[in-house]
Amino acid sequence: MRYIAPVLVGRAVRAVTRARGGGSALPGYVVNKMAPGFIKNVVAQFEYGIVFVLGSNGKSTTTHMLTEVLRAHGLTVFTNPSGANLPQGISSALLSEVGVTGKLKADIGILEVDEAFALELSKTLLPSTILMLNVQVDQLYRFFETEVVADMMLDTAAVATSHVISNRDDAYLSKIGEILDAKGAQVPDVTYFGASPKLVASSAHGLFNAANHREKASGATLDALAELESWDSTGARIRVDGALADISLPAKGLHYGVDAAAALATAAKVLGADFDLAKASAAFSAMTPAYGRGELLDFGDEKVEFVMFKNAASLQLNLDALPAAPEQVMVAIDEGTPDVSWLYDIDFAQLDHVDVLTGAKAWQFALRLEHEGIPVGTIEPDLKKAIELMRALPAPQTGHKTWVVNYEQMMLARKIIGYGDMEVSF
Amino acid sequence: MSSSSGISVSILELYPEELEASGERGNVTALKTRLERAGHRADVVQHTVGRRLPKDPDIVVIGNGPVSAVRAVHDDILDNAAALRSLADDGVPFFAVGAGAELLGAGITLADGTVLEGVGIFPFSARRGVPRQVGYIVVETAQGTVVGFEDNASEWNLEAGAVPLGAVTSGGGNGNGREGVLAGSSVATQTKGPILPLNPSLSDALIRAALERRDEAYAPSAPHAELDRLAAKSREVIVANVKSVFTTI
Repeated sequence: MRYIAPVLVGRAVRAVTRARGGGSALPGYVVNKMAPGFIKNVVAQFEYGIVFVLGSNGKSTTTHMLTEVLRAHGLTVFTNPSGANLPQGISSALLSEVGVTGKLKADIGILEVDEAFALELSKTLLPSTILMLNVQVDQLYRFFETEVVADMMLDTAAVATSHVISNRDDAYLSKIGEILDAKGAQVPDVTYFGASPKLVASSAHGLFNAANHREKASGATLDALAELESWDSTGARIRVDGALADISLPAKGLHYGVDAAAALATAAKVLGADFDLAKASAAFSAMTPAYGRGELLDFGDEKVEFVMFKNAASLQLNLDALPAAPEQVMVAIDEGTPDVSWLYDIDFAQLDHVDVLTGAKAWQFALRLEHEGIPVGTIEPDLKKAIELMRALPAPQTGHKTWVVNYEQMMLARKIIGYGDMEVSF
Repeated sequence: MSSSSGISVSILELYPEELEASGERGNVTALKTRLERAGHRADVVQHTVGRRLPKDPDIVVIGNGPVSAVRAVHDDILDNAAALRSLADDGVPFFAVGAGAELLGAGITLADGTVLEGVGIFPFSARRGVPRQVGYIVVETAQGTVVGFEDNASEWNLEAGAVPLGAVTSGGGNGNGREGVLAGSSVATQTKGPILPLNPSLSDALIRAALERRDEAYAPSAPHAELDRLAAKSREVIVANVKSVFTTI
């Protein structure tokens, strides 16, 4: 009963922020202030506990995959909207689901969590399972020292009460087994996922995980409960506990295949004997693309494929996943990506030209491409005008145009072409 | 002008695996591209830990990296200190960014008080653990206005009489209104990442110094015009957005 007032106030705040046309973390903030024990009480009701999904890249995609796989096994899943991975966003998401008395009917919570807040949040949410995806050089201005990011995840993983699922192929995260052994910890148990060494070796730029200058590689190959064997334009072949499964992927690329292996390994540990690979495969077949990750949206009589990036790793891996040089390309990048120093680390061989470059950082992007001799049609910093330039191009033979966009430009572009739904929509 | 009969110019890239963490590969790309567009051949040679230092480079480039990377290359760079100093004494221009520049200075005092000895080419010492400076930076230099992005928690103390790269008009720099330090034609800077593509005047000064040693004249011409136009536009936007606030954790 003590939560009725805070929940109602929070919902009122939510209604107001929605009416103003945007998602907001404010309602969660208000409830946190009014009733600090609220969240702890809500999550204690989950039978399978809480899963944290951590990583530099792939959190939203993997959270989505894991959620759908568990739903296919009949579980009621509470999850946070893609990208709402800061504490207030998570509280706001909880708020939108609970009854006024603070009851939430779900079997499990699957939350993508920003690594900088993961350890702090773990004190309130007491995660039973922690999935660690990768340490990649993220937004340089924010996490210059990749080992700091790695430690944020490794320290959080140590507090899981049941399972840790980690990336065998990540130079930092693969150390979690040794770290927990050294502590003599009985829980959590550690399970790995990965990509087959042959597949990694044959990929243009590998997995793009950060180099570990702190610890030497042990040289030993750890066993992976779920291992990606191959991927193509239709899906991925993944070996789970000895059984092979051909699954469809909601977006194409090596990194999405690895995310799927991570989701399958986690589902197998969480469900134990109830895990059914056939049900999991069916869930992948029914999955829709996550926001901006390989989505095809209507653009007049044509389609637009959004290829979103937030850092060097996601741009390179998404470019590598393109089957051929895209026929018509717009690139949009603004100050939402503050530091673009990494542009010079990217191999742009997958692009043979760019039709339109837009956003405040268009000139810096163009300067990079000029160094590679990749021709750029028009530089038009204004996104609305840039989209009109794309519209004026003749219909592409492939039927779709490709827009390579940072998150902020994607949100604006969606709105401009009539998909004004907000990703973070409470 | 040498566009009809170009020469072969060797760019030595130090520790690319450890010390190009924030895109400093772009500085090599800029030098190579500008040399090629002037009709020369640019050979990029890399030095990695444990290998022999390549001989007779025309320009030496080193970049930035985390403290773990600095530790990983520290023994190796000290092993090669005499050879590197002799290159600098011979007038070979160095372009050094962030942690790599600090290794070429007098030394680095880490946040825990540990001191890492430097090579002693640049007349300054670095102190880590000061409040982090993140964002665009604008510096007035002898080569005109230099812009870029800084991200460091490091204060540079220049030795008496040492000449900074320039005066900071926006941003943090060395921590006292100055940015970087010069040693002859060599430049050390806190402005990390690909600063040379954005600032062709800095690239040209380095190339000119390198080619003078080879009795070659150098001046940018028509093939450089598009690079320079895009750099100028990029700089315009950066100066206009210089006050953008960046969140740090």
